[in-house]
Amino acid sequence: MTLLAHQPAFIYRLRFSRSGSLSFIGHLDLMRTFERSLRRAGFPLLHSQGYNPRPMLVFALPLGVGISTTDDYVDVSLAEARDIMEVMEGLQNALPDGLRILDGWPVPETGGSIMAMVTAARYRLQAQQIFPALQRLFLRSEVTVEKRSKGQLRMLDIRPLMLALEHGDTEDENEAIVLVCAGSHENLRPDLLLQALTAFEDFPLQNAANCGVERSGLYAGTYPDLKCFKEMI
Amino acid sequence: MNRTNKYAPVVLERGDLLSVENPARYTGGEWGITIKQEVLDEIQRTGETKYIRYAFCFPDIYEIGMSNLAVRILYHVLNQCPDVWCERAFSPWKDMDRLMREKHIPLFSLESKTALRDFDILGFSLQYEMCYTNVLQMLDLSGIPLRSCDRSEDDPIITAGGPVVYNIEPMTDFLDLVMIGEGEEMIAEFMAEMKKYKDSKKTGQPMTRETFLQNAAKIEGVYIPAFYDVSYQEDGTIHDVKPNRPGIPAKIRKRVILNMDQAPYPTQSIVPNTKIVHDRAYLELFRGCIRGCRFCQAGFVYRPVREKSAKVLCEQGIEIEKATGYDELGMLSLSTSDYSELPGLTDSLLSAFDGHHTSLSLPSMRVDSFSLELTEKVSETRKSGLTFAPEAGTQRLRDVINKGITEEDIMTSLALAFEGGWSSVKLYFMLGLPTETLEDVIGIADLVRKIEKLYFEVGRKTGQRMRRLEMTVSTSMFIPKPFTPFQWERQNTMDEFVQKQQILRDRLRSKNIKYIWHDLDTSVWEVVIARGDRRLGPVLLEGYLAGHIFDAWDDCFSLGKWMTILEKHGLKSDFYAIRARTPEEVFPWDHIDCGVRKDFLLRERERAYAEQTTPSCREHCEGCGAAGFGGGVCYESK
Repeated sequence: MTLLAHQPAFIYRLRFSRSGSLSFIGHLDLMRTFERSLRRAGFPLLHSQGYNPRPMLVFALPLGVGISTTDDYVDVSLAEARDIMEVMEGLQNALPDGLRILDGWPVPETGGSIMAMVTAARYRLQAQQIFPALQRLFLRSEVTVEKRSKGQLRMLDIRPLMLALEHGDTEDENEAIVLVCAGSHENLRPDLLLQALTAFEDFPLQNAANCGVERSGLYAGTYPDLKCFKEMI
Repeated sequence: MNRTNKYAPVVLERGDLLSVENPARYTGGEWGITIKQEVLDEIQRTGETKYIRYAFCFPDIYEIGMSNLAVRILYHVLNQCPDVWCERAFSPWKDMDRLMREKHIPLFSLESKTALRDFDILGFSLQYEMCYTNVLQMLDLSGIPLRSCDRSEDDPIITAGGPVVYNIEPMTDFLDLVMIGEGEEMIAEFMAEMKKYKDSKKTGQPMTRETFLQNAAKIEGVYIPAFYDVSYQEDGTIHDVKPNRPGIPAKIRKRVILNMDQAPYPTQSIVPNTKIVHDRAYLELFRGCIRGCRFCQAGFVYRPVREKSAKVLCEQGIEIEKATGYDELGMLSLSTSDYSELPGLTDSLLSAFDGHHTSLSLPSMRVDSFSLELTEKVSETRKSGLTFAPEAGTQRLRDVINKGITEEDIMTSLALAFEGGWSSVKLYFMLGLPTETLEDVIGIADLVRKIEKLYFEVGRKTGQRMRRLEMTVSTSMFIPKPFTPFQWERQNTMDEFVQKQQILRDRLRSKNIKYIWHDLDTSVWEVVIARGDRRLGPVLLEGYLAGHIFDAWDDCFSLGKWMTILEKHGLKSDFYAIRARTPEEVFPWDHIDCGVRKDFLLRERERAYAEQTTPSCREHCEGCGAAGFGGGVCYESK
């Protein structure tokens, strides 16, 4: 085995949004789209070692198919230092419509994995009468749903993962903001929450299927002492 | 039809998109697409547009269609035409098809989500016969009358092009216009006629569809099926095919691009947001093939061989890699080893991509020491499998089909490969080739066993620690295709094929060998359509109406159901599949001229029976007729 001298990595944390058609691709497709965009932008990407070297991109939290976002993060590792504005603008010009770079800053190599930092996420849900339905769901002490994971169905009480419920900007009954556990330790996907609404609160299936789902915040820390990612610059 | 909201975008609900497999097939928004905002603005302002709205239609799913090079080239060519906006549409998979019918959602383009019925023209790219019913699916989902004769003055013009159009007769009921040959130049001339047609609609004297088609028929390579009558003899064969209007050519000659260096080529090609079948950028090294394998339709209809220069390819490769961000560049051609500047091209590209983590892929390579070295150089990752296509098991039969590869070639290169550490080999063969005997079939098994033995001999001789040998042997059924020296041949019967497969299954039992065979049923149907005539139109229509789509997908295909419909229409598959033709017979495709003459094909057929090979175009010109196009390999100094 050849020992490789450690190559310094220059890591840039980019905050991005996605909307429109780009919301309907899966996590792997999103990763590939970022990879190719970064290549188009001509940045010296650092690659992983081994049989199948891949560009070193780390996303804070995978985004499900059909979910848009206004507040997500990816760490990009470059072989050379670049000005953050250059990274942001260069990448923006190479991204397909629907992906936008909102912010960015360099992070130290020793800062730890961005994936491991995530503990909670905020989602904006839009569907007819969703707020009162969620209000009732939050009043329950237990919300046990069937969850399919790795091809197997198992029962899971999601109530402990439901942290808080708020109104949107207006007191609209058709919009709700939920804060849920997220990350590699405990994670509540919004579709499971919608599934619970149809199972326990007579929420119409059609409304759940067409419910707009947008991720609007990612957090680190322990609830209620959460720290918003965008305030960590 | 409600025309008040013409051009209004089709909106799919989130729930609908999430209910189908891979919604990214239907959402568009990829990097590199063409959005002509001026068209949308004009429609916003006036409700109409002077632009020709062209829907480039691929009758299979997105992941397959977007992998096709013709789609990428022609999308680019069309959008370069003045006053044309070309968008894309693909066959919705069965789940989406069902949903669209249930909810009355019309089929739409990916760029502007405009309903296809609002386009001026639908251009279908037909890459294989088994996609025909999907053309009907796309028309039907668009609300466009399926048959050409049922369309009104307001309906879009329905056209097709692609490799299968050399015998498009089974589809002629449904197509207004067919483009024979390479589209690059023809399509620009066609769009100029189309523009006159569209402009006339705003005047007091709109041009009729009939007049437009008559004008278009003057463009070389354009075939208007309705302008030809076919008559049959009592035995079911064709009596003749004649133009039924004055001034219509008796034969339609294919179009070719002679100067490949100057041919338009998209370096800013579309990069899909979702994984597609061939997810890489492409270079097209050359068109045509110098080899002339006698079963291969592409080897004849794409003549003459025309290369792009390494200089142009290198420039295009560098530009494509930069503009698309792809990390793999595929070198496309019918036989990559035959590209005359291959070493120089790969060297320049490899040095240009140094440090980029970009790999080259070289499909369709003959295996020899040069290509092994090259394969090792171009792939940064571990050794992938080697592919051989001897096609036949004995030298006699390989001579019959003019596959210029000997057992010695195979053994020498494989010994080299095994010494170099390769341990995975794929071998492709065909069953049912003309003159094939059971001895030839057994010859396949013998050859495979010899290769298996060779692997372990190499291990013993060199003392290397050998990995587990993985051999994949694949057999497909020979399909006699139009415009090949074998177009007169019969296909084997089902029983013959089954017997031959059984022989191989018995003889290829080994832990090192995996034997896979193509679906028999689809091969039978494919030959019926490939050599079919216009009487198959109503059969295809009935099959479609009975729900048969995606015939190219084995699990969607039912031979039994097609046979029932065929017989209901008084036709027999044996007539098309297992009947040998006499040299005098008029073929359904005889009014199409691909440049290669029939007497040459007959000569090649006689040579096949005499077990004589024919040298490649670079070694010796056999006067096939392709020199009549005035360029390519026919004029290279020998």
